[in-house]
Amino acid sequence: MSVLTKQAPGAAASLAAGPPGRRTRGTARRRNQRSGYLFLLPWFLGMLFTIIPFFASLYLAFTDYNLFTEPNFVGLANFQAMTEDPRLWQSLKVTFIYTFVSVPISLAVALLIALVLNRGLQGLAIYRSVYYLPSLLGGSVAIVMLWRYIFGNDGIVNSFLGLFGIAGPAWVTDPDFSLSTLIVLNVWTFGSPMVIFLAGLRQVPTMYYEAASIDGASRWRQFRSITIPLISPIIFFNLIMQLIGSFQTFTQGYVMSGGTGGPADSTLFYNLYLYQKGFTEFEMGYASAMAWLLLMIIAIFTAINFIASKFWVFYDN
Amino acid sequence: MKRTATTGFSRRIFLGAAVTAAGLGLSGCAGGGSPAAGGNVELNFVYWGDSNRAKMTDAAIKVFEEKNPGITVKSEYQDSGPYADKLATRFAGGNPPDVLAMANRSLLEYAQRGTLADLKGLPELNLEKIPETVLSRGEVDGKLYGLATGVTTIGMVVNKTITDQAGVTIPDDKTWSWEDYAKFATEVTQKTGGKVYGAGYDVSTETGPILLARQRGEDFYTEDNKLGVSEDTIREWFQYSVDLRNAGGYPPAGFFEQIGGSPAQSYLAKGTVASQIIPINNFRGYNEAVQGDVVLLRMPGETTEKRRGYSADPTMLWSIAAKSKHPKEAAKLLDFLTNDADGAAETLTQRGVPINPDVAESITSKLSTDDTTFVNMMAAIQEDDLPPAYVYPKGASVVADTLKQLATEVEFGRITPADAAKTFLEKSNAAINK
Repeated sequence: MSVLTKQAPGAAASLAAGPPGRRTRGTARRRNQRSGYLFLLPWFLGMLFTIIPFFASLYLAFTDYNLFTEPNFVGLANFQAMTEDPRLWQSLKVTFIYTFVSVPISLAVALLIALVLNRGLQGLAIYRSVYYLPSLLGGSVAIVMLWRYIFGNDGIVNSFLGLFGIAGPAWVTDPDFSLSTLIVLNVWTFGSPMVIFLAGLRQVPTMYYEAASIDGASRWRQFRSITIPLISPIIFFNLIMQLIGSFQTFTQGYVMSGGTGGPADSTLFYNLYLYQKGFTEFEMGYASAMAWLLLMIIAIFTAINFIASKFWVFYDN
Repeated sequence: MKRTATTGFSRRIFLGAAVTAAGLGLSGCAGGGSPAAGGNVELNFVYWGDSNRAKMTDAAIKVFEEKNPGITVKSEYQDSGPYADKLATRFAGGNPPDVLAMANRSLLEYAQRGTLADLKGLPELNLEKIPETVLSRGEVDGKLYGLATGVTTIGMVVNKTITDQAGVTIPDDKTWSWEDYAKFATEVTQKTGGKVYGAGYDVSTETGPILLARQRGEDFYTEDNKLGVSEDTIREWFQYSVDLRNAGGYPPAGFFEQIGGSPAQSYLAKGTVASQIIPINNFRGYNEAVQGDVVLLRMPGETTEKRRGYSADPTMLWSIAAKSKHPKEAAKLLDFLTNDADGAAETLTQRGVPINPDVAESITSKLSTDDTTFVNMMAAIQEDDLPPAYVYPKGASVVADTLKQLATEVEFGRITPADAAKTFLEKSNAAINK
């Protein structure tokens, strides 16, 4: 996940660099290419360590590998077992609820804050950093622990509700509420899509707005007809990245529940269950098969998004 | 619409980024580095625990190194959760530690996959003095894969300051029944005006139902490594907590949200519960956390149920990896940890009462008052004839997780104790018989 959040500001930076000058195009291009590859170098090096486990897991998905003894080929047995595994379905349910609730909300919040920040605030850099901070911290163990305290029985949230005479629920230990606590945590980390939105918003030429207001368009109308279409590629980008990230959620569920996915499997994220299968039940073959199922799920959702994007994403090129 | 400035995004960039991001989730974990062996033999020795345990262990290791020139011990310790994860990856990566601590519930997961050495095949390890009842807890098919680090059992601790203030008498623990305990707990809650709950024991740890099953004449885990507990016992275990909660003696659902597991972080230490079940080798920690007014009691039901539920259980087990490059030296270290009085003088009862009776005897004068209380109780319990107990079967960690999950479901009333018991048996049997 950290790779994702690191990529995001990089993309933002290249946007913010602004339009290329009209200098000698060829050399500039070559220089750009060279630095491009240079920036990609760490990724290529990292890829060397990724590519082998990547293909190994594809092979292991069709074996009964248990970490300790030689894997035996078992064909599709792992995938077949998945269809009859209630905890797998539970983990899919948790992951889907988490994704489909938290991604739209966090994108909306990110866009909203970006719009506010884009209105020429003084000290923009400071605000931007302050709002970005949670997304650097959100996946960290310390913040999830802090979250447990905030939403704990004697935590700030319930103390605050207590002021109004409301007895708050056991946010963390009640299976009906534990996932919502994590959804709030995820929404809180809206920083990285926000920074990308902000960069996108700054690229929208002001003359469009000027022209529109001369024509008497309302603010809402301007937002709908100018802002949204022009930043639609960025909305799309953020949507895809958030979706992928959210399908792969692990740390939050692991730390919040002490690795169990509890209470009562209510925070059993797909990746957490995968991890349990692989490392506590030693069914690495099954865990590998699960990893590939997740890849397929993500690929399908990404594909659906790409197809749907034809109808709402506006590309200039 | 025409624009002069573009955002420069293209479909291709999205696709690339998306595929990359998705692929990252697939790459798993690979093994770590390998320890360097110098002129002499270096043993890698790992265990879980806190810094206090580490300090005592380090002191013992120093004694070992002095007695065994040519062997150095590189030890590592962690909290139990991360320890279990790291151990699995190290074995998987073909780089296991030489000597390691193993949880009861994980032993056969490892042993039956051929990753642990048969300790009986190592002449450097002297097992002469070790009671058969202790050896049997690490044995399967006549091979010894784990040797208890010491023995302990569970007991009830009561904060006497609270019960004195509330004016509640603690029942005689030699003869008390489960009803007596429930009555006592409910009375504490009533007399403290609901500020303190009388009972705060953990429903979701398997040691409780294991004891109850034995009291009811069943073996939770049987001699032939199966699940032996009846559905009725598990239902009773859950029902008891539900009834106690309804009566007010046990806290409401969602009350327990403990983050750390140390005595200082316990609800007993916070003073919100008056009693708790603990592994009694931790008695000293609890007594210190509550500033010395904790009494250690036997579990209820020992004389009122069918038979005695107690057994002297391995606190944890020592194992040697089958792939250890230095099995001889590893066995020497394990022999030292088990049979050497000078080593035990440093570690005392940190991992339970030493299993070699001579060694246990040799350290009695060095123990603190609290540790003496623990050792004496352990001895008193074993004076009586206790039914035998057996090694935990493969799949025991799934059983533990299942119990935890169902305990929560019962706690929040999402499932009845009867249904929970039924599910428990189904899932546990499936995991064990796999």
